[in-house]
Amino acid sequence: MTTTEMRTPTLAELSAELLKIYEKSKTFNRLVTTDAKIAQTPKTLVWTLNKAKLYRYVPVVPEEQRHKLPLLMVFAIMNRPHVLDLRPGHSFVEYMLRHGYDLYLLDWGAPGPEDRNLQFDDYTLEYLPRVVRKIKALSGSERLNMLGWCLGALISTMYACLRPNDGLESLVLLTAPLDFTDKKSSGFIRWTSNQAFDPDRLVDAFGNMPGEMIDYGAKALKPVENFVGSYLNLWDNIDNPKVVESWHAMNTWVREIIPMAGGAYRQLVNEFYKENRLMTGKLVLRGEPVDLGQLKAKLLNVIAEGDHITPPCQSEGIMDRIGSQDKEVFRVRGGHIGIMAGSGAERTTWPHIENWLAARSH
Amino acid sequence: MIQENQDNFNPFDPTGILKTIRDANMETWSKMMIESVNTDAYARVTAEMLDAWLSNSAPFRKAIEAAMTKALGNVNMPSRAEVISLAERLTNIEMRLDDMEAKLDESLRAPRKNGAASKHRSRGEEGSK
Repeated sequence: MTTTEMRTPTLAELSAELLKIYEKSKTFNRLVTTDAKIAQTPKTLVWTLNKAKLYRYVPVVPEEQRHKLPLLMVFAIMNRPHVLDLRPGHSFVEYMLRHGYDLYLLDWGAPGPEDRNLQFDDYTLEYLPRVVRKIKALSGSERLNMLGWCLGALISTMYACLRPNDGLESLVLLTAPLDFTDKKSSGFIRWTSNQAFDPDRLVDAFGNMPGEMIDYGAKALKPVENFVGSYLNLWDNIDNPKVVESWHAMNTWVREIIPMAGGAYRQLVNEFYKENRLMTGKLVLRGEPVDLGQLKAKLLNVIAEGDHITPPCQSEGIMDRIGSQDKEVFRVRGGHIGIMAGSGAERTTWPHIENWLAARSH
Repeated sequence: MIQENQDNFNPFDPTGILKTIRDANMETWSKMMIESVNTDAYARVTAEMLDAWLSNSAPFRKAIEAAMTKALGNVNMPSRAEVISLAERLTNIEMRLDDMEAKLDESLRAPRKNGAASKHRSRGEEGSK
């Protein structure tokens, strides 16, 4: 540090500085405690079952210019899917609509105490087939494409294995947690694979896995970035409307915490994280063995290279096991959410997914 | 005293001080924390703490649950378990309605499909004549 000049501050300078800090604090407080308007793209509710809702987005291009095959987006079961349509001007949904897709979104909703026994069996074989049936009825197409993200990708993969003749043409997997062979690849798998960790006791106590605990777990993987860095970054850039708008939208989505159905959480930890049943061919859903070789749909596997929630090794292992002839791995620099919602997504991930799907949507 | 220098350091701006400290230490701190949460020791300690908390809080949770069930019964109100059971039944009814809707859709689409197929056939026959 080189001192060039030392002088006494005037009272006016000090009060101006304090006023600036006060104004920044007010803005900061507003951004941290209020919700931005997210998920604004117009859509119609076309089907509901229990807490699950299926939406169809209002198309923005004429029918004759649209792709023939509808696209269903399946998000994770412990977050709201609004991150796919984060804010006007920066939304994957908007992007795909502009490129002529007939777009559907499955929102699993927040499970209540009565849903504590819901399992992946139910999501995969009870809900998803009904959603597919509804989309076929609405679109008039017997075939469709699917995009699954995080646990939504796990559900989509299992569905594709169990119902290979249900009309699924192409499957896009985003940061899919499928292969839990490496028990030291990330914090999550270390924590849940530890012998002292008993998910059954948690579920017995709470019914559903509280959203706050899931949120804490996800943030604790990168504690400094999530509990400190994110807020300091906002403070530093509080005069930059672009950064502020983006931060506010993302924070709104992050704050929207929902629980995870107890049965599904128990199954995720025991059958997937601890026993790796999908990859070892021992997974059985409602009496049906899940065989990765039965996955025949065309597959695009999008992997985030900097993913600390689903490290790349958890997604890439399936490529040699699946029965698809047309398959591709697409590696993107970025994190679990950043590859789809970050500022670079519109230049990297979205166009690649769109181009890949466009070639397979006739 | 305000100290002006090449990197605009301002000792009267607490955020500026924080930023300088952060810039110097954040990355190291972050790496250290990520490494420490990503150890078996951390996993074991947090799991044991959680287990202890669940064990210690279980009697209280059970007592509150029993007292609440009794209190609701005394004022002729359904218990939590009864409301949950009712919600589960509603979900089952919803599923049956969805099945019926699927069958209705199917039966409505079938004549259209059959009609289209027979039209196609008759056109083919006319063409061959």
